[in-house]
Amino acid sequence: MRRTDKYRFYFVLALLAALEFTVRSRLGDQRTAPDFLLLALLIYTIRTQPGKAAAAGFVVGLLRDALTPASFGAGALATTVVGYLSAWGKAVFFAENLFVNACLFFCGTWVRNLVIALASGKLRGGQLGWELLVWSPLQGLTTAVTGVVVLWVFRRWVHVRVREA
Amino acid sequence: MALGADRYTSRVDTLVFLGCLGLSLTAMSLPPAWRDPIASVMRQTILAPLLQLQRESELLRTSRSRFDAITAQRDSSALAATFLPELRAENERLRGLLGLGQRLASGYAPAEVLHQAAPTDPLALVISAGRREGVRPLAAVVSPEGLIGLVSTVDARTSIVVTWANLEFRASAMAADGSVYGIVAPHGTEGPGVWLLELQGVPYRQLVPVGTPIFTSGLGGVFPRGIPLGTVIGVAGETEGWERTYLVRPAVHPSAVTHVMVLLGARGGGDLRNAFKTDTASIGGRTPP
Repeated sequence: MRRTDKYRFYFVLALLAALEFTVRSRLGDQRTAPDFLLLALLIYTIRTQPGKAAAAGFVVGLLRDALTPASFGAGALATTVVGYLSAWGKAVFFAENLFVNACLFFCGTWVRNLVIALASGKLRGGQLGWELLVWSPLQGLTTAVTGVVVLWVFRRWVHVRVREA
Repeated sequence: MALGADRYTSRVDTLVFLGCLGLSLTAMSLPPAWRDPIASVMRQTILAPLLQLQRESELLRTSRSRFDAITAQRDSSALAATFLPELRAENERLRGLLGLGQRLASGYAPAEVLHQAAPTDPLALVISAGRREGVRPLAAVVSPEGLIGLVSTVDARTSIVVTWANLEFRASAMAADGSVYGIVAPHGTEGPGVWLLELQGVPYRQLVPVGTPIFTSGLGGVFPRGIPLGTVIGVAGETEGWERTYLVRPAVHPSAVTHVMVLLGARGGGDLRNAFKTDTASIGGRTPP
């Protein structure tokens, strides 16, 4: 891999982080809009080791927690778990193709929301049901679709295979 | 199993994972007195450029909406744009905010809501006004439809708003004519009534008809008198011979607002009933499940 390739990869991650704070609010209902920051984390975890992925997840989650104090710490816990499991699962079980990556993005979003909802203890009963059965799957779907588009458009930059080898 | 499993699951990875889990659990168990300053420092340092970016983006969206509205009035070719539901709603909301600002006797600070992707976002919002704009803790946060919540933490350029959906929220409330007083709190999380409020502590002999608008009473000195909270939609429960609890449809849902106003006047002062929309239909608002 050339040195410039590495920079391109991080450029894509930075672009996704910027989209989170600029474009996301214009994409309709906030509960279903794609989570670009989590997408950047998941794309990072595809290429990295579980330890680094867990650390990156912790940092991203803690930063997000500073903006959502109702669940401080729960976001860090959730993204740590998602980052670690994503990197570990990709290495151990998953083949690399576009559909599998889309499933990873969907499940990553859903599991992240599940852990936040349970760990924060703020959502219970009907709220928890709506969150896990309606809003989280929709957000996972939009995040997965966005992730597929990003991987397809930047496939040479992020070095993620979009077809099975 | 596993292609490269040994390479990818080293002991160091496991230790880092466990360390991060431990730190996360520590963060969750921090008391608010420790947690809030840490979050505040993060918002004012590493997150400041990103929040500024989000703020500029929201301002850009607002400016563009206004520009589109003016263009639509002058240019018939832009007429179609005015029929986009989202743009019309945005314009209506901004006009409402402008009208509310003129009607409010006390000072206010306009702010954009910087929504986040977490599922707990409706419980505590980040807004783009802080100490520099004169925002203080416990200031009331309103939209043209009614009360959103109150400021809990103030940074230099942002603030955290605890919304009415937060289980810790309470507001002293009254019926429109001042005949009934009670405490408004979130209805809870069970059953189909999530994202509703309830009016608690109403004496058993005092009946509150369905459709009665509920306002803040000003008692307690936190919220000014007369901010719409919602509309009574039924009885939630009763303690025989003692008191009734009524279900209240909130005037506005936190996830639906994009712009708010922070009241800067003296806490608890004045009656704001005339400053808000008075028709009960508008108080009914949108209430997602």
